[in-house]
Amino acid sequence: MSDRRPPWSLLAPALLLVLLGVAWLLPDLDVLGLEADDDGPQADVRATLDGLGPAPLVLIGFDADLGTYAEVRPTVRTLIADLLVRDARIAFVSLTVEGRALATSEQARLRRGEANANRMLDLGFIPAAEAGLVDLTRSIRPDDDAGALAFAREVSTAGMAAFDAIIVVGGNDLGPRSWIEQVAPRIAPTPIVAITPSVLLPEVLPYVASGQLAALIGTPGDGAAYRSAAEVGSLERLVEAGGPRSLPILVGLLIAAGAMGQALVARLVGTTRSLADRDRA
Amino acid sequence: MTGLFGAGPAEVVGTWVAATLTLVVLGSLLGERRMFGWSQHLLAGLATGFLALIALREVIAPRLLEPLAADPAGRPELWGGVALVAVAAAAPWLPRRVTAVPASIAIGALAAFALAGAVIGTLLPQLDAAIVRPGSDLGATVVGVIGAVVTGLVLIGFVHGVPRGRILTSAAGVGRWLLVAGIGAWLGYLVLSRLILLIDRIGFLLGEWLGFVP
Repeated sequence: MSDRRPPWSLLAPALLLVLLGVAWLLPDLDVLGLEADDDGPQADVRATLDGLGPAPLVLIGFDADLGTYAEVRPTVRTLIADLLVRDARIAFVSLTVEGRALATSEQARLRRGEANANRMLDLGFIPAAEAGLVDLTRSIRPDDDAGALAFAREVSTAGMAAFDAIIVVGGNDLGPRSWIEQVAPRIAPTPIVAITPSVLLPEVLPYVASGQLAALIGTPGDGAAYRSAAEVGSLERLVEAGGPRSLPILVGLLIAAGAMGQALVARLVGTTRSLADRDRA
Repeated sequence: MTGLFGAGPAEVVGTWVAATLTLVVLGSLLGERRMFGWSQHLLAGLATGFLALIALREVIAPRLLEPLAADPAGRPELWGGVALVAVAAAAPWLPRRVTAVPASIAIGALAAFALAGAVIGTLLPQLDAAIVRPGSDLGATVVGVIGAVVTGLVLIGFVHGVPRGRILTSAAGVGRWLLVAGIGAWLGYLVLSRLILLIDRIGFLLGEWLGFVP
């Protein structure tokens, strides 16, 4: 089942990998820094977290997607560390299987990093997509194993009303839009913060403009700005060193633009030739 | 990047397995498709296994079997659920009219929740936010008007099967091009997301596996 393309046509992807690898190895240039300005979306996130009060209860709707999680992963890890530094109590819930797998992996990582287990609650996987989200607004049933946690009992008694904020890690089918459509209209006003890959930006940006999302980190630049501004103190070990590197991103985008330009020029040349042939005929 | 702490045997093995599979997947770019096919089977198998595990451990057992075992008469709606699951599982051997029932309920319920949520949570609040109110600054007014015009043109682009005059036809053409431009912009974001994923994997191979530090 080996590829029967001519060797020269396999050279392009190999060259792409080599170029990206070299760009990854080179030091980043300051001029290419991804960090957006200080007053951007990251300031909204920090302002939302600052306004939560002491030891807040935060629900994290974890429905990231394997294909885009690499983009938001460093920011998600920083945000969780930021919440723990603020003495927040965090509950994880997922409505997609892929999101559940990533949430389980992140919680295992937090345990290995010796994060305070008494401040984390796993609400597991909720089936039935949108209907599951609606069910979540009516009752929340923490696992029996979590019953020892005081805040698990609080969540069990008060349901969604127990939470001071909701953070949605998007990327999969049930992202910030689903939470805004199914959960927000059914509960008391609760700030919703979203972290999404840039591919979801056109979908979620209108919710920021309408005020339905309290804050959104939706681009690598916003994520980099938030990570550089966040103060995680003693929980630095939970944060991922670095993030998406700007130089390889630039190289990759230039190659993508070049490929598109080449396709456009090839089509123009083909059209011009066929017109010329028709004139000659 | 793997999220592993320390350098114990489990972490080392995990890193090597991840690196090997990453190389196999990247190898498909260079023409090696046989091992890439195996890696796809592995992914599909793991995903199916995980799905079955989640369904059994987090849905069927705690939400269906345990409540029924604890109080068989107390939750009659769960027996209905059991019946629907049984019909769905026996679909290959039952008449289509019978097997259509659970599928219809699932699709209908999903569509009802999605539609109601879209109207209450998106359509109405977004229409409200798009209205230019007296006292708005000039920038907001201009953005609102442009948004309304673009929305109108794209909606006209979807009008099919009705007689149209020259103006409507032109407007529909502009609307379709605006739609194409929007999809193009979205694809640009998609390229960025996928590119970051590729760079992340290259970084994993170079940094975490081979130990290079940029």
